[in-house]
Amino acid sequence: MRAPDLRRGVGAFVAVLLAAVVVTAGVGVVSDAVGSNGATQPDAPAYDTGDLLPTPVDDGGSVPAPDAGTQKTVVVDAAHGNTVGRADMQPLVNALVESGHEVRFYTGGGSSSLISGSGTSALNETLNDADAFVIADPAAAYSGAEADAVSAFADNGGRVLLLGDTPTTATSASSLLGLTGETTAGSGQPNAVAARHGLAFNADYLYDMTENANNFQYVYGSPSADGGLAAGVDRTVFDAAVAVAHGDAATAAISAENVSRESTRTTGTYAVAVRSGNVAAIGDTWFLSPDGATVADNEALVGNVADFLVSGTKTGTIGGSSGSTVRPGGISLDGANAAGGSTNASNATNATSATA
Amino acid sequence: MSGGERSKVGRVVLVGAVIGLLVGAAVAPTVWDRTTGPDGSVAVVELHSTITSDTASTVIDNLREARQNDSIEAVVLDIDSPGGAAAASEQLYLAVKRTRQVMPVVTSVTGMAASGGYYTAVASDEIYVTPASSVGSVGVRATIPTGGVPAGEIVTGPDKGSTATQTEVRQRVESLRRAFVGSVMAERNASLTLSANELSYAKLYSGARGVRLGLADSIGGVDTAISAAASEAGLSDYRVVRMESPTPNVLSQLGLSADADGTASASATFGNQGVETVHYLTLHGSVAGPKTEVVANASA
Repeated sequence: MRAPDLRRGVGAFVAVLLAAVVVTAGVGVVSDAVGSNGATQPDAPAYDTGDLLPTPVDDGGSVPAPDAGTQKTVVVDAAHGNTVGRADMQPLVNALVESGHEVRFYTGGGSSSLISGSGTSALNETLNDADAFVIADPAAAYSGAEADAVSAFADNGGRVLLLGDTPTTATSASSLLGLTGETTAGSGQPNAVAARHGLAFNADYLYDMTENANNFQYVYGSPSADGGLAAGVDRTVFDAAVAVAHGDAATAAISAENVSRESTRTTGTYAVAVRSGNVAAIGDTWFLSPDGATVADNEALVGNVADFLVSGTKTGTIGGSSGSTVRPGGISLDGANAAGGSTNASNATNATSATA
Repeated sequence: MSGGERSKVGRVVLVGAVIGLLVGAAVAPTVWDRTTGPDGSVAVVELHSTITSDTASTVIDNLREARQNDSIEAVVLDIDSPGGAAAASEQLYLAVKRTRQVMPVVTSVTGMAASGGYYTAVASDEIYVTPASSVGSVGVRATIPTGGVPAGEIVTGPDKGSTATQTEVRQRVESLRRAFVGSVMAERNASLTLSANELSYAKLYSGARGVRLGLADSIGGVDTAISAAASEAGLSDYRVVRMESPTPNVLSQLGLSADADGTASASATFGNQGVETVHYLTLHGSVAGPKTEVVANASA
């Protein structure tokens, strides 16, 4: 082949190649400008962020100190595997201590309680020294004799505060040398004592799907009576509160309106704080905790509870025969063998003073 | 024209004819395909696992591929998931919502579309269920590790260890509930007979009940869903392409991502290895291990 022919052939090849590249690039630029990519990445707006953030419930203030008149002794039960301890009711303990009252934690009877039943006797002694007694979430039920003692204490003018949450059960099985045993932990309600005063804690929690403190289990309570536990309270917040059933002899102080019970899903107004003479029953413990004590008007309620505990006038003593009762079998659900681990039978101290 | 020239022309014509035949034979299958082949494809995108950021990413990638591939004209979501991490579920919801802007998206619930699984399904045009499949559980939960500063650690603030107080976690769970319930109310507005409050109970319904309540549209299997999607895309003749769900990683298949006691915890399933944090979950069913739990709804 001659050289001019070869040059012509190569020139034609380069020209066609360039034309193809330029045409492709041109079509690409045009189609890009038309926006074909935009069609595959459409705008899909979602969520109005303005509506998503909940309004926090007012959380401020401090628990008012109760009447500082005569120094009173408030004993808190810690002998029945109570799941609510000092740290869980710190605002109440602080309010009492700051106004000059004494707070003790009752941790059970002596080491001989397993055979003599002196757990009750120790309780009697403790109650004789006390002006008020607080029972919160006992995992171990009160025996009949213990409930009688607390009831007699209330009849003598001692103040009794019963607190109960939704009971929980956690059972663990253990095996030792072929013997198996079951330990029941969790929390319970002071129903044995409450029943003697015409009160009963429900086992299921209350909830409200519409008017709540940012969660369906955090229900609002409003006063259903003037003064007493409801003095100065406009709106309280309870966490997974249980309703307290009561008869005519008792008065509801704070109730949750338009709330539902978890077990029956029935909606209505349920009493959460009830007073029956010298006994008050409240179906919640969260409002006493550092976390809950200043939410909404909870601080007023805690102050009222402190007032209630130190405003009684106790006369007479209890005890006598019930302390020496020996029940068949000798083993009972006294404070000495209460599950929960916070106490044990070898603890000889009946009560320990709070060091708030 | 002499005889020799005629013979030369004849040879040229013959060679041209043979070349034409060869080229024609090479092009013919393409032309045949163009004239008789399917009009387009329906992509079946699987979500057959709990929703973690990894499994969600695969599904989101598959949906993007469906949007960008010109031959794919419709998507069928094949969902069997109890939900999972809240953030990943929201990503899935948004990806489905975006895909629906481009092409029909039809969901077939082949087992369970609960919580985050339903969150994913709710953005589609239609939801097909079977009587035994389940839908719902519109709720959020948070698992909170033990609070406080762990022994042997120095941190710069009280919330560095636990990341938030209980109250803050509760508020955040509430805002996630509002986002979830609000999205379901908005997407199913036309057919839903439940109120926002009733939805917030977070019940899981059977497929048949779901159709009655408006959480799903019709009873039908995955093939019904494919044919509905094709019909909405105007395809009479179509190909089905399956984009498979990611398989769980090898460690979790061997059970090694579970905790020492053999139970799967929120941290093992949704967290970074060895790090305990607050987990916000749109998950149906229980997770072992959490110390504390904040639930937005009665049975989330």
